[in-house]
Amino acid sequence: MQTFKIALTIFFALLLQMLLPNYLAFFKYIDLPLLVTVYFGLQRAPLLAMLVGVFAGIGGDAIMGGIPGVGGFSKTLIGYLVAIASIKLSLENPFARLAVVAVASAANTVLFAGLYLMLRQEHLAESVLPYATSLADFGKTIGWKALADTSTAILLFVALDRVFSEQAAARRMAIKRRFYE
Amino acid sequence: MSANVAQRKAHWVLAGLLLGQVVMMSYFARHPDSEQSVLRTWLMTPLSAVTQVADGIISTVTGWIAGYTDLRGARQENIELRERVEQLTGENNSLREKEAEYKVLRTQIALPQLASYTQIAANVVSRNPSLWFKRLIIDRGTADGVKLDMPVATGAGIVGRVIAVGPNFSTVQLITDKYAGAGAMLQNSREPGEVRGLGDEPYCELRSIPSTSVVEVGESVVTTGYDRIYPKGLLIGTVERLEPDPTATWHKIIIKPAAPVDRVEHVFVLLVEKKDLQVEELNR
Repeated sequence: MQTFKIALTIFFALLLQMLLPNYLAFFKYIDLPLLVTVYFGLQRAPLLAMLVGVFAGIGGDAIMGGIPGVGGFSKTLIGYLVAIASIKLSLENPFARLAVVAVASAANTVLFAGLYLMLRQEHLAESVLPYATSLADFGKTIGWKALADTSTAILLFVALDRVFSEQAAARRMAIKRRFYE
Repeated sequence: MSANVAQRKAHWVLAGLLLGQVVMMSYFARHPDSEQSVLRTWLMTPLSAVTQVADGIISTVTGWIAGYTDLRGARQENIELRERVEQLTGENNSLREKEAEYKVLRTQIALPQLASYTQIAANVVSRNPSLWFKRLIIDRGTADGVKLDMPVATGAGIVGRVIAVGPNFSTVQLITDKYAGAGAMLQNSREPGEVRGLGDEPYCELRSIPSTSVVEVGESVVTTGYDRIYPKGLLIGTVERLEPDPTATWHKIIIKPAAPVDRVEHVFVLLVEKKDLQVEELNR
């Protein structure tokens, strides 16, 4: 059941990512598959976070028309790093979670653009990553994306906490255990 | 594998997943210069360099052995070759004279001069003896100015065209490959058609020649330039045989390539691009 819910979450994230930018221009700054990956990374399960990163990332590549594997690579890595960070550090606080989203968003943008540059596909990077034609513009894009992803995460994480209430409870237990230890 | 063990081995899983995706992205990404997959460019660039070195060593060793064995008949062969050089020098002078006359005549009847192209020599470093494809790998690439669709030839005739380019290598599709084609015409009757590779044998087929046209065995077939890959007038081969079919509208003509495409070791890449041929086409 849990697996099915996770698969459905990834599916809806991809669906919304595909649909919404057609109607709301600013939505192209938001990366829902990344946010879902970060959410599962914060559940302290590296394996789960990586698998969500693989599927959400490759799915994102497919819908954006980019090179399959680029988004998958960055999201797998980010999912893993967030999961490891959430195990080692105290990231249960909502503000800490949002800070993680902002850092993950910036890292994802840099990784994404870096991989496209490495593969000499700058022309594709411009089409899948808006307004990244110069270094200054790229800096602005990182900033706007981080802001958009963080703002969206506030609502999305509340919704996902409701859907995955068992995992949210487990996380709360982890906070208590950490506090009493 | 229990959940804890799985979590402990997460970094290995991460490495596997990332590696898998690197392979995936590099397979799907197309190199902007060559339009071939980046994975292939990454693999072929070092492999091609190693192949070139190995080919050089093998060629040197076989060259020594062949040089020793060839010495036995060298004196007689030398005499014959000198006679041949004399004869060819005479022919060359005669052709130069005709070429000069031809240029003057073209100018007089207001035809534009045909473009001339530079060419670079290349060694065949590998063959692809696949059942489906007939391809060669040569030791020249983008660093030498080679681009996609450039014609490859020997002194005898065309060999094929470049279908993939790396920094230090190029893949050549032979004219006998079953997916290869070229605009062609019979040299005597000037009847235009299309040459296609036969794939499973070292011959090509000349298509679209009406059965009413007179075709002679041994007649030369040259390029028309209409395909925008091969410049006009390059020798493709000679008519080997005609396969009779009284009911057919078109001749079935089998061509023997003039260049020894199956055993060629050295070739020339003609540094001619589609845009140059378009200009020539417009002029014509």
